[in-house]
Amino acid sequence: MLLRSRQVPQLGWNLEYIMWIFMRISGLAMAFLGATGMALAFLMGARTQMDLPTLMRWSFFPNPNHVVNSNIPDVTQGWANGFWQVMEILIISFAATHGFNGVRMVIEDYIDHSLWRPFLRGVLFALWLFSLLVAIYVILAS
Amino acid sequence: MQVTVKILRYNPEKDEKQHYESYQVEADPTDRVLDLLEKIKGYQDGTLAFRRSCAHGICGSCAMRINGRNRLACKTLVQDLNTTKITVEPLLGLRVIKDLVVDMEIFFEHYRAVKPYFVNDEPPPEKERLQSPEERERFDDTTKCILCGACTTSCPSFWANRNYLGPAAIVAAHRFIFDSRDRAAAERLKILSDHFGVYHCHTIYNCTDACPRGIQVTKAIGEVKKAIMTGSLD
Ligand code: FES
Repeated sequence: MLLRSRQVPQLGWNLEYIMWIFMRISGLAMAFLGATGMALAFLMGARTQMDLPTLMRWSFFPNPNHVVNSNIPDVTQGWANGFWQVMEILIISFAATHGFNGVRMVIEDYIDHSLWRPFLRGVLFALWLFSLLVAIYVILAS
Repeated sequence: MQVTVKILRYNPEKDEKQHYESYQVEADPTDRVLDLLEKIKGYQDGTLAFRRSCAHGICGSCAMRINGRNRLACKTLVQDLNTTKITVEPLLGLRVIKDLVVDMEIFFEHYRAVKPYFVNDEPPPEKERLQSPEERERFDDTTKCILCGACTTSCPSFWANRNYLGPAAIVAAHRFIFDSRDRAAAERLKILSDHFGVYHCHTIYNCTDACPRGIQVTKAIGEVKKAIMTGSLD
């Protein structure tokens, strides 16, 4: 008799649990997506065509508007297409949700049971939704 | 050697708020902070209030902030503080009753909430409920807890919201969740996965630093999170 394996029925999902996992996954995902954007930018010639701030803007929000003023001859060649739109939407969704959930945790930590809490939660949710919708609109329209 | 002990004092019958008072004490390097407090109370100011019982680091009464860190006064040697100026303050995050004595009720309320006792309704075997040394080893670290409150009161998440169960309660739960003879792991995990359970832990590690028993508190909390996630109690 060494270590007998023991198991309990797995608990159902709750918001705290989902967000806890989400915070970890989104943190990793943002780093990974940023690195991918940067690596692909270098492959497309970023080393000679843009300065560091432009490269950073591109890495964390790969929108063609962020690089039009660099020395890239033509952004429609590789820099503006559906792939980057998907990348942008992924990055902004992860980042906004990660950030807003951070603020939610601050609210949960510091605001005790009072009407303030549901109110602030509501405001936060509305802001999150609004900023995501605006961002996606900007991405698809540009 | 001469040491200066600065104590954050509060007398609810006289003072409006806490204030510092300093005492000069003759001390040996091997004296403990508790010895200094005893000297002050015995020879300089009998009104000083603090908790102590065993003076051997096992009852958990004398946790307080010593030079800004949660420590047991009876386990902290003057020479280990590397200074002759010692500041002693009550634990943070709990209501101060008098001087260094704090109201631990909410701490014990959280402790009771996680069912910190053995649960097994199966008929007991003739002799005893057997457990292998390996199974005993699995939760050995968290059996060391003396409920001094140093971890919970060093936790910024607890300072922010005292409804958070806190590291000490999670350690107590861990002690039974991973005990192969216990049968209430699922119930405890449910309590800990709740709003004010383990997810209020932001892995700040203050608890691990504060624990006078050297319990790897943050690791234990991590193991509970993992058990909630996988359902596995290995
Ligand atoms: S007096 Fe018992 S732990 Fe310090």
